[in-house]
This record gives sequence, C-alpha cells and structure tokens, in this order.
Amino acid sequence: MHRAGLDRMSGRATDQAVVEPDAPTSVEKSQKRSIRRAGTPMVIAAVILAAVWLTGNLSAIVPSVVIGLTEHAPLVLAATGFALLYRLTGLINVAYAETITLGAYFAMHLNTNYGLGFYVVLIPAGVLAGLLSVATYLLIFRPAKLRGVGTLELIIISFGLSIALRYGLQFIFGTPVRFFDVPPPDSVNIFGVGVASFRLVALLSVVILAVGLYLFIQRSRYGLMVRALAGDEALAQVSGIRPFAVTVLIWFLAGLAGGMAGAFYGVGSSVSPLLGERAFLFILLVVLVGGIWGINGVMAVGVGTGIALAFMTLTLGKVLYAELALTAAFLVVLKVRGRRLTESTKV
Amino acid sequence: MVAESGTAVRADLPHRTMPRARLTVTDVSKSFSGRTVVDVDSLTLGDHPIEGLIGPNGAGKTTLMRLIMGSLKVDSGKIRLEREGRREIELSRLPAHKIAQSGVVKSNQVITDFEGLTILDSLLLSVTPARREHPLHLAGERATYDEHRAAIERQLDDFGLEDSRRVALSAGEKKLVDIIRCLLLRPAVLLLDEPTAGLPGEVTRKVMDAVEKLAADGTTVVIIEHDLAVIWRLCAQVTFMAEGRVLLRGEPSDIREHKTVVESYLGQGHV
Amino acid sequence: MVLDTFLITGLFNVVMLIGLALLLHLQLGLTRIANFGVVGFWGVGLYTFGVLYVRVDWPFEDPIQFVVCAVLATAAAGLCGLLIGWLIADLDVDGVLVGTLGFATAVAILATTEQGLTGGARGMGGLRFPYDSGDVAVNELIWLLVLVALVAGILAYVWLVHRAPYGRLLIAIGSNEPLARSLGKPVTRTKLGLFTITSALMGLLGVMYGVMVRFLEVSSLGIEVTLATVVGLVVGGSVRVLGAVVGVLLTVGFFDIVIQSYLPLPAEWYTQTIPLMREVLFGVALILVLVFRPLGLLGHMRRDRLMKRIHGG
Repeated sequence: MHRAGLDRMSGRATDQAVVEPDAPTSVEKSQKRSIRRAGTPMVIAAVILAAVWLTGNLSAIVPSVVIGLTEHAPLVLAATGFALLYRLTGLINVAYAETITLGAYFAMHLNTNYGLGFYVVLIPAGVLAGLLSVATYLLIFRPAKLRGVGTLELIIISFGLSIALRYGLQFIFGTPVRFFDVPPPDSVNIFGVGVASFRLVALLSVVILAVGLYLFIQRSRYGLMVRALAGDEALAQVSGIRPFAVTVLIWFLAGLAGGMAGAFYGVGSSVSPLLGERAFLFILLVVLVGGIWGINGVMAVGVGTGIALAFMTLTLGKVLYAELALTAAFLVVLKVRGRRLTESTKV
Repeated sequence: MVAESGTAVRADLPHRTMPRARLTVTDVSKSFSGRTVVDVDSLTLGDHPIEGLIGPNGAGKTTLMRLIMGSLKVDSGKIRLEREGRREIELSRLPAHKIAQSGVVKSNQVITDFEGLTILDSLLLSVTPARREHPLHLAGERATYDEHRAAIERQLDDFGLEDSRRVALSAGEKKLVDIIRCLLLRPAVLLLDEPTAGLPGEVTRKVMDAVEKLAADGTTVVIIEHDLAVIWRLCAQVTFMAEGRVLLRGEPSDIREHKTVVESYLGQGHV
Repeated sequence: MVLDTFLITGLFNVVMLIGLALLLHLQLGLTRIANFGVVGFWGVGLYTFGVLYVRVDWPFEDPIQFVVCAVLATAAAGLCGLLIGWLIADLDVDGVLVGTLGFATAVAILATTEQGLTGGARGMGGLRFPYDSGDVAVNELIWLLVLVALVAGILAYVWLVHRAPYGRLLIAIGSNEPLARSLGKPVTRTKLGLFTITSALMGLLGVMYGVMVRFLEVSSLGIEVTLATVVGLVVGGSVRVLGAVVGVLLTVGFFDIVIQSYLPLPAEWYTQTIPLMREVLFGVALILVLVFRPLGLLGHMRRDRLMKRIHGG
C-alpha cells in the first residue's frame, strides 16, 4: 500500500521540480541496481578462487574457507549494521568502532561480574550497544543535523566522538587487554581444521542475525519505511512515515549489530579499548565496496574478505601483510567505482 | 573569444558575416537505469546565431546540454565542435574542463554558486588564465583584475550589481553572476538553460539584450526556455524535443504550424 | 637563559603541528579534501628519512647526508601524496576518508612488519642532528629555530595563496567542483598538485621530527598526530589563514606547554592521566566546535574584506 503511495508521490514530485526527472525513486533504483548487479559478487568470488588457483596453493583453500567463515564472521555482522546506518542515513559514523568496542565491554562486564554465560549476555550487550548508539544520535548527530552541519563536518564529529569514547575507555579500564570468563572451548574438526565450538555458534548466530536483519529491511513494513526514508526524507514524511521514529530504529539496529559483533570479537580473542578501531577500517572498506551492490553485496563482500584474509594470512605468513594487500585491492576497486560517481553532478 | 587566455575582445570585428561555431550531435544516446533519456540521431546547432530548444518536462533538453558540456558522458554517439580555421574537436571524448576550454560554456538551470567567494571572486575566477593559477605563481591577482577590470565593471553596471566585494545573496543575484561569468568568457558556443527563470522582468530584458549582442558578435547561442514568447522572438531556428528525441526542427513559423504536435506536449495557448 | 628540555620539546611539537595544520588548511579548509591520514604522510617522511639516514652507507658527511636524506624523504611523501591523491581525486568524502585512513594504516603496518629496515616495534636509534654544538639542549634549540623558520615559510605561503588566483581556484574547487570544471578549470590536476605538494611538506615536517627525537617508534604512527592536527585546525577555524595557528596554540599548546611545564601536578599524572585526558578533551572539542561553531573561533573566510583590501572599493 505504501508502494503505490510512494510511486504516486514521486511522480508528482518530479513533475513539480524543475529538474529533469532522470532520477527514479531511490527504492526503485536500488532494487533495479541489485537485480542488475547481483552477479558481480559472484565475479569477485571467482577472482578470489582464480587467485588461489594461480598461486598454486590449493591446500590452503579449505582451511581458508573454514577459518575465514568462522573467525571473520563478526566482520560480516558489523559491516551489515554499519551499512544499514550508512546507506539509510548517509552518515559515515567513525564512532561505530566504539559501538563495537562497547558491545564487547558490556558483554564482558555482564559475563565476568554476574557469572552469566556468553550466550546469555549476547542479546543484552547488543541492546545496550544499540541504546548507546541511539543516545549518540539523539545527543550529538541529530542536533548537529538540525543545525545544518554538512556531511564532511558530521564525519569529523563522529571522528571526535570515536576518539573521546576510545580514550575515555582507556581512562576507565586502562590499556591492558581483558578476557571473557568462558570455559575453554572444545575443538571441532571440520575438513581437517580444528575450530573452537563457540566459533561455530558465532557463525550460526551471525548468519541468523544477518538474515534476520536482511529480511527485516527487505520484507517488513518497517523495512519498507526505512528504505523509503533513505530515498527522500521529505517524500517519506508526506507518505505518512515518521522519519524520527524510523531513524531512531535504524540507529538502534546498527548499534545492536555492532555491539553483538563486538561481543563475538571479544570472546574470540580479548577485549581492549582498541578492539573496534582495529576492525573499523575493514568494515568501512567492505561497506563502501560491497555497498555498490546493496546490502546483499555488503554481506557477500564481507564473507569474501574473511576468506581472503584467512587465505592470505596462511600463504603470506603474516596477518598484517594480508591486511595490507586487501586494503590496497579495495582502494583500487573504489578508484574504479569513483568514475561512475562523477555522473551525479547537476551542472 | 578564447577561454584559455580570456583576453580577446571582439566587439570591433564585423558582425553577422562571421562564421559561427557549430555543434554536431550524431547518434547520441543516454539512459539512466535502463530508461532512455536522450536519443538524438542527428542535430546540428549553430547555423543560426540563436537557436531554441523546446519541449515538455523530461524531453531530455537539459540532459542533452549536460552531455554537450561533458558533465554527463554519452552512452554512445559523438558530439563535435567545428570552428572556422580550427581543427574539428570531438567534445564527447574530452573531460568537462577541456570542453569548457574549447569555448563551450553553459549557464545553469539549477542555481549554483561558489560558497564563500564574493561576486568579484567569481567573475575573476572565470577570466583568470591557467598560468596565473599555478601553485607557485602567487603574484597575479592585481594584474588579473587590472586586465579585466573594464569588462567586469561594465557587466556589473549593465546588470545593476552594485557592490561586487560581497557574497551574492539572493537566488536572482547568483543566477546573474552565473550569466555574467559566461558572458565574460566570450565563448564560441553559449548554452543557456532557462536563463531568465527567477529573474525580475527588467533584468530578464537586460540578460536577453546581452545575449543578443553576444550572438551578433559571433557566439553561437542555444537557449532552453519555457517562456515560448522569448523563443519565438529571439530564435531563428527551433528544435522541438520530446521523450529524448528531436521531433520537429525549423524556423519558428514552421514549428508553430505543427500546432497539434506542440500543443499535445505543451498544452494550449503556447503556439 | 635556562634551556628546559621539556619546554623545547613542547614548543617543537606545537610549531610542528601548526605546520601540519596549515597544510591541512589548504587541503581540508580550502579545497575540502578530508585527509584523515595526515600521520601517514608525516610518517612516510619520518621513516624514509630514518631508514635512509641510518641504514644507507652514504659517501658524504653530515650536513650533506642530512640534506640528501631529507630531500629524498620529502619526495617520497610527495609521491605517496600523488598516488593517494590519484586514488581519491574523484571520490566523494566517504572514499577520501577510507583512502587516507587506509593509507595511514598501511604506513603503520609497513613500519611494524619491515623490522630489518625500521626496527619494527623495538624502534630504531642512530639519528642525530646534522651539526653538533657540544650541548644537546643547544642542539635542540637550534633545531627548534630551524623548524620555526620552516613553519613561518609555510605560513607565509598560505597567506600568499589566499591573496592569489591559486587560492581562489582552490576555494572554488572545494566549494563546487562541477561548476569549476564547467568554467574550464582543471580540477583533478589542481587537486593532485595540491595534495602532492602539501603531502611532501607534511613529510618534511616528519623529517624534522625524526631529527628532534632521534629515535623512531612505531607508536608515533597512531592516531595522535592526525587528531592534534585536525583539532587544532577545526578549533581555530578551518577556512582562515591564522586558524591553524590559533587553534594549535589553544589546544596542543595548552596541553604540551602550559600543563606540561607550568602546572604543579603530581608527576605520575604526566605518564597516564594527562595524555588520555588530552585525547578525550580533543575529541569532545571537535564535537562541540563543529556542532556549535562549525567554522571555529575565527569564523568565516571573509573574502569580502580581502577583496576590498586588494582591489579597493
């Protein structure tokens, strides 16, 4: 029902506007785009496989896929949450890194101080991170936006918030790393690779959460509102959508995903104030590159990145080299994509 | 006349007999998300001093101008610029700033301005040659103004912009600054997209006078305008576009003869 | 005159950050290129210089050895500026953020992994002043004066840029790229040129820093340099010539000079509390200034006054 309303509204809006109606509504656009380019993540996967084949290191494939999927599962979750915020509010929120970190701290705090099991604290930690995310929106980003602060300035504001939270955490908790109080994981053998059992559960949880988020956005009535809002706030408003409520919802969901990703990161290794910052660059790269193909693209590129990181770590011998190579590769993809962006000018 | 040097003034040259720059559009198409917005087989602009481009909303007029200016790239086809005594240039292969440098300039439909720059800044920007904008050439400011002072002051006077050492305030002022920027470049081809929308009637007349004078001095002018009275009065040749295609082309009287076609798109009372 | 090493180091940091913030003013304030990887270009200068100076067996002695290494390191930073500039030239602000941030991370990674060259996490010594007065404090003072001269030069350049057609072109590009293009301005080339020159100079400031501290540490490649530069510029006023100077003095100057040298605080605070407080407050300052006074203390660019001053009327 909203769909019809939107189309009617958009038709009228373009007639009224002096500009050429060469832009369909963005919901339409993104749907078309995702249909037209659905094959591209496949191409990326094929390229990765080809690289594997070319390096002749076939024995590393299976472990890479297993490790990539299990160890880097939080990356997919975090990237999905970040992409939600980025695509629907247009804001690159650098402080998302600290949402992740705080999710890990919330979970660890509940786990170590109250003796609650990891899976018990997962959802509350996510909810707390989500509330924190909403708080930053209400206290900082919304007032800034209402005052007409520009996109670039909003990014710098989020950078400032990120720094304040990060060093604030160091101030409170100190720099030493902390650990969850969980029983030593039992190892499960998958295709000859030993994987801690909780990582499998983590993978499963990430899949469930990511699919749930995806379905929510793509299928539910709220999801439609969210997408409509992303297209055009004024238009969404006259169609009976309350931008404020939906925006708060977006911030909460993004924080929820980030916080739970943080808990998974934390239980997988350790918790420190720099946890989120370490993950942030790759989240950003995955979202900017994968975002070309919509939220599905973000998930696909996230999975691909996990596998590629695992593979390169195995073959190059150093995690840092793998990160370096992948960062360079992503920047080149962005460079190529950038040529298309120049078309959106109005002069 | 020459955008790069921005120095030549040709008011003293004989009018009307001067050969004009011509734009040739061949098999150009452009689509967005699978929808064809411009699909022009063959169109030559510049056989007459002032040409009009008319048609309903969404006809692809603005998009065609943006394709000529290079701010949009053609999907296929060629746009060429011919100027007397110069080699033909294929505009559709050039980056946007090279197209402008080759003498094709456009005044914008959407109000655009440089935030933070004063009116004088804006005008000086358009006349400053590239060599003066080098990172190590830091002494050219006064000289640039001295060279172009007369032309700038005359335009400011003509259009009644009094204090140029301030930021343009209203939409009308910004539009006027945009047009003066174009006039100062003394372009070979001037594209005007709704040049007078949002300007008061008196200023509209001044703009049109200036455009006519520029055309008389040898510039090829192409106008998109919804006020057809302006088109019928100024243009020797009119192109009627709809749904991305050229439907009619000819002298204003020819176009007005196709009353049914024009009215079916633009509504009654325009012809 | 009493040469307080703390004071000289503090002053050195302040002056260096003024230099960096002035360069960022050209990139971010005028041309609106959001360089979040200032530390990367600075670090390339620092580490290239250090590695060349310490690891290479030069056939000549110090003043020349320093000059050769410094020139090469500056050029290396400039080359990185050209490369990154090319990568981000036609990206929107999101792409610029990820490109510059990614570059800074890459520099930090390489400095850590290439232990054979850089000493990795252990750090690398072996740097020294290209002269020797016999007294370390005097050497440092002289080096501070060299830096002051360099940064004064950068300040003079920025001042002139504001009064030249080049500055107007930068502002025009920063304000409306497509419009600048439609007036025939070579936008991409101009941005590349600017990014190359300013990145090279950031690298040169890294060289200056390396000589001053005489010991390379990977930890110096963290977020702190970028943060201090951005905070200084934003607080002072990103579009004004003196914004960088005022802002860095008020922020970094306050912490690194007033608090470090003049406040009677317990000694243990200086190692833990103060540095963390500094970063937290810097972050908060960024938020507050951008929400309540986006153009910083000095405010608008005031081209109107400048045009009147230059052209009368």
